[in-house]
Amino acid sequence: MSRPANPYAPREVAVAVGAGRPQSVAGRDVEAVREQWLVEDRWWSEAPLRRHYLEVVLAGGRCAVVYRDLGTGRWYEQR
Amino acid sequence: MSYVELHAHSAFSFLDGASSPDELALRAAELGYRELALTDHDGIWGSMEFASACHAQGVRPITGAEVTVAEAAGSAVVAPGFRGNCPPGAFHLTLLVADATGYRNLCRLLTKAHSGTREATEPLPPLVSLADVERHAGGIVCLSGCARDGALAGRIARGDNGGAERLGRRLLAAFGRDRFRVELQVPLWRGDRTRNRRLAGLAATLGIPCVATGDVHAHDRDRIPLQDTLVAVRLGGTLESTEPERRGNGAATLVAPARAAERFRDHPEAVTETARLADRLRFDLTTDLGYSYPGAEDGSADRRLAEACRARFGERYDGKPKRAEAERRLEQELGLIAKLKLSGFFLLHRDLLELAREVAVEVRGPDSARSLLPPGRGRGSSVSSVVCYLTGLSHVDPVEAGLFLGRFLNEEITEAPDIDLDFPRDVRERLIPRIHERYGSDRSALVAAFPTYRAKGAIRDFGKALGLPPGEIERAARSAGHHERAELGGDGTRRQALRKLLDDAYGLPRHPSQHPGGMVLSTQPLTDLCPVVPAAMEGRQIAQWDKDSCADAGFLKIDLLGLGMLSAVERAVTEIARVRGERIDLSRIPLDDPEVYRRIRAAETTGVFQIESRAQMQMLPRSRPENIDDLTVQVAIVRPGPIQGGAVHPYLERRKRLREDPGYEVPYEHPCLEPILADTLGAIVFQDQVIQVAMALAGFSSGEAEGLRRAMSRKRSERAMQAHRERFVEGAIARGVDPGVAEGVFGQIHGFSGFGFPKSHATAFGLLAYQSTWLRVHYAPEFLCSLLNEQPMGFYPPDALVHEAQRRGIEVRPPDVNASAVLCEVERTEDRGQRTDADAGLAVRIGLGYVKGLSERDAGAVVAERERGGDYRDLGDLASRSGAGRDGLERLAWAGACGGLGGGDRRRVPLWRLGAANGSRDGQLSLPLPLPEAPSLAEQTPWQRLTADYGAYGIALEEHPLSLLRSDLDPATVTCATLERIRDGAGLEVAGLLVARQRPATARGVMFLLIEDETGVANVIVLPPVYERHRLTVRTASLVTVTGRLERREGVINVVASAVRPIERPDVPLADVHTIEPSRARETGRDGGHEISDLDAVLPVAHSFGRRGR
Repeated sequence: MSRPANPYAPREVAVAVGAGRPQSVAGRDVEAVREQWLVEDRWWSEAPLRRHYLEVVLAGGRCAVVYRDLGTGRWYEQR
Repeated sequence: MSYVELHAHSAFSFLDGASSPDELALRAAELGYRELALTDHDGIWGSMEFASACHAQGVRPITGAEVTVAEAAGSAVVAPGFRGNCPPGAFHLTLLVADATGYRNLCRLLTKAHSGTREATEPLPPLVSLADVERHAGGIVCLSGCARDGALAGRIARGDNGGAERLGRRLLAAFGRDRFRVELQVPLWRGDRTRNRRLAGLAATLGIPCVATGDVHAHDRDRIPLQDTLVAVRLGGTLESTEPERRGNGAATLVAPARAAERFRDHPEAVTETARLADRLRFDLTTDLGYSYPGAEDGSADRRLAEACRARFGERYDGKPKRAEAERRLEQELGLIAKLKLSGFFLLHRDLLELAREVAVEVRGPDSARSLLPPGRGRGSSVSSVVCYLTGLSHVDPVEAGLFLGRFLNEEITEAPDIDLDFPRDVRERLIPRIHERYGSDRSALVAAFPTYRAKGAIRDFGKALGLPPGEIERAARSAGHHERAELGGDGTRRQALRKLLDDAYGLPRHPSQHPGGMVLSTQPLTDLCPVVPAAMEGRQIAQWDKDSCADAGFLKIDLLGLGMLSAVERAVTEIARVRGERIDLSRIPLDDPEVYRRIRAAETTGVFQIESRAQMQMLPRSRPENIDDLTVQVAIVRPGPIQGGAVHPYLERRKRLREDPGYEVPYEHPCLEPILADTLGAIVFQDQVIQVAMALAGFSSGEAEGLRRAMSRKRSERAMQAHRERFVEGAIARGVDPGVAEGVFGQIHGFSGFGFPKSHATAFGLLAYQSTWLRVHYAPEFLCSLLNEQPMGFYPPDALVHEAQRRGIEVRPPDVNASAVLCEVERTEDRGQRTDADAGLAVRIGLGYVKGLSERDAGAVVAERERGGDYRDLGDLASRSGAGRDGLERLAWAGACGGLGGGDRRRVPLWRLGAANGSRDGQLSLPLPLPEAPSLAEQTPWQRLTADYGAYGIALEEHPLSLLRSDLDPATVTCATLERIRDGAGLEVAGLLVARQRPATARGVMFLLIEDETGVANVIVLPPVYERHRLTVRTASLVTVTGRLERREGVINVVASAVRPIERPDVPLADVHTIEPSRARETGRDGGHEISDLDAVLPVAHSFGRRGR
């Protein structure tokens, strides 16, 4: 039996960047950046983490947490 | 907008900061900082090093500390052994020194933070109360603390805005509007903006500015993995398990001012405030300390010092040919000392020596043979001073010995000279607390020392943090040399990470400790100059600075060194008086005893001071010392400085040429060097020769030359040395010296940088080398005895000392409850044998103190009761009278010390009877009941006796392991004694017990082994490729077979190894079966296949020597 998928697993998402910050997440405009932070860890392992996180307010008022994987340059949304 | 970093940690925030102060200063300069603050946790351990490093880089240093504070008594939970940065309920404040008052307050506050931290079994974390901070607020600028544990940030993060404001108002009241700032940080954690917005709001409410800081923990991003790992090590967990406490990213790095400012784009005023604030923090540790040494203010000191010297002058020099010269020298020195205002300094040292004399009488007793000896001896450059000689600070006549004063005193010295005093260990132990008493505990302290990360310890610490398997960590740690950089095999991310961590951590301080004997004294309270903290040893306290920092501060520093050989020599003198009734005054023994020099030239120097090491023994037959001056050179030349400076071969070669042709003319690089280097045949051997050479060849002033010497002896001084090179070569050329010669001579000086002795130091050590050899030659049993009692010391473990003595015919007897004292003693024997010499009829008896696991109390009780009530008649008598517990009695029985109390096997029978008498483990056998007789028990085989001897007291007295193993070795294996008869270049195999291994930094990876078999010892050279192939064996095995070829040079024999193998289990039954009647075991005494591993577990550990210094 396969394990159920982790509902909180990060999901790759399209982020448009301009003027040094995300302008839209999955097509929705970013109204504001509330917080941003950096996670650089597990450098001793086969799967080191380097992520730039942003907590953004999207058009319509929803908050989202997205991060850019600094190794691959890809964007993910963290639920 | 200029940003100044006002919050930075170095590695002196132990197990938190990951960069040295030097690295921070250098990086700050590279990044364009003009100022930088150092704010280590609860200490300023690295502040002086930081200040000096900053000045060298053109950066202005700001002194400070991050202090841990409890708001009220009991508000913080402090538990012994707490390893976090901030105990629950406490908070951090960043304190920066504005002026001298602020510095004094910070020192007092830090002293207070550490007082009482040693009262529990495990250290308590340093902590001050808020009330203490309020009392010491003057002259200090207070920032409200870091993002996680800061006074205000912590409260705001917990939502306690009211608490934050209350605390903020209290701090504002204490420090005032000018000296309290709300600290903003952007560690790139979630919540940074919210927290900083609230903090800025609070600042506005309080009416004070915010200030931005970076909470730097590393000078470069590259060090962040080390910072993570240090936190894991501190918390005793793995990197995984300590994730919540670690910083989680690389933001805590020193970055360029513009980049740091960019992080605070929401709070530009906080960035501007950094520079405004920094401009007010003008206290400079290197110039504003305001220390003066005790006695400096005494107007009568010059007169009193002159009187003290003249009072002794006649006694020392009347009737001597050099009296007039000594008188001139005295007047010259007194004039110089007065000019330098150092008379009080010398008087203080004399005062200390008088105190030492009192202590020595208490320790030794007024009538003992030791009372003839001075309480201590000078070493180091002070021996070159006639004032020191006349005031008793040195025992060497500098006029007679031709010692040069300049290294010790010259017109340009900028700090008080060092006076090093060696004391026997027992005198020193008592003297240190007496100095605290005499000068006041707030005016004297020991100097700190900082053990640095070395391969072994780092592999263990970091390997655990990385979660590597324990077995693998231990294997890697054991295979690493004690003082060498780790060379670690293995693939995989974690192993690669470990290698990088080991490199990065190499040389960084791990924790504070106490220097072996350096003390600082002050007339003003020391706690106003440097924080003082309690040492681990009760009754002692240490200053937060190490000896280099204390020297930079200009502190009066005295080195009270416990020298094992001085203690051993004193013990020998006492023992000779007890055994033979002869009172020896070592200061009056002849210094030209031909027999002593004959033995030295033959390298028969095991156990004596300095010239007993493998390297010394290799050189003695070639250098062939003939007098005390030769010995002075000898102790100085086998040092990294002269070796790297290329002094050894020219010196040996020229001595040989001179022996062959007394008319041989020693070549000098330049005629002006002849008077300076004549004693050492043109080679630079002594530190003071460097000074003299620089003055003569390159026209250095004495102060410049001293600066050169200091640059040579300091760590990481390459840049300073380069500046001296230019000055040296230019100076020499200006004086008409050929540029090639100037470069060549400077090359020798540069090579010397490692480490060398001043001549005066070598003179003191050479004399002790002679005295100890004299005792070894003329009073061999007493000398051996004193060495055994003074362990650990010297190059050889006790087992090797005993074997060497036995080969010389000295009888050594095992511990015995009816004969042994607690310490080893010389006893008279009935049988003089064929011998007629003075040592005939004397034997060394191993003391009960050598019995492993026997408590000092039990050993003392057994001896005291025997002295009171006579010999023990039998085992029952011993058990009932001695007061030793069951465990102690069994250990004595296992050591064979009860063998004289009844028939049969000397170990098995007493053990059986003790066991039968009382089944319980802890029982006391106090009733005088007859013990049951033992059944007929088989005698131990020689092999079992050997294993038991090593296991019970660490010395094999009866048979050498190799003599028992001999029949199992390849018949072609030669003994150490036969090496003498083997031709140069011959291939051979030799086997032995590893006595010492040494991999000096100067030997480019070559490992030297000393192995011992039943006939003697052999030197083995393991070249790097062979070392790499056999590393684990070389580093860990006790019994080895060496294959190689013999090398013979001027009477010195080495085996150059091509392979080193552990002695494997021989071809005997391999199953776990104890053979009952093995024909072979009868011969060898070995009864199964497990003996080697049994023996390995108890064999003495070979002494390892290697790289030292940072």
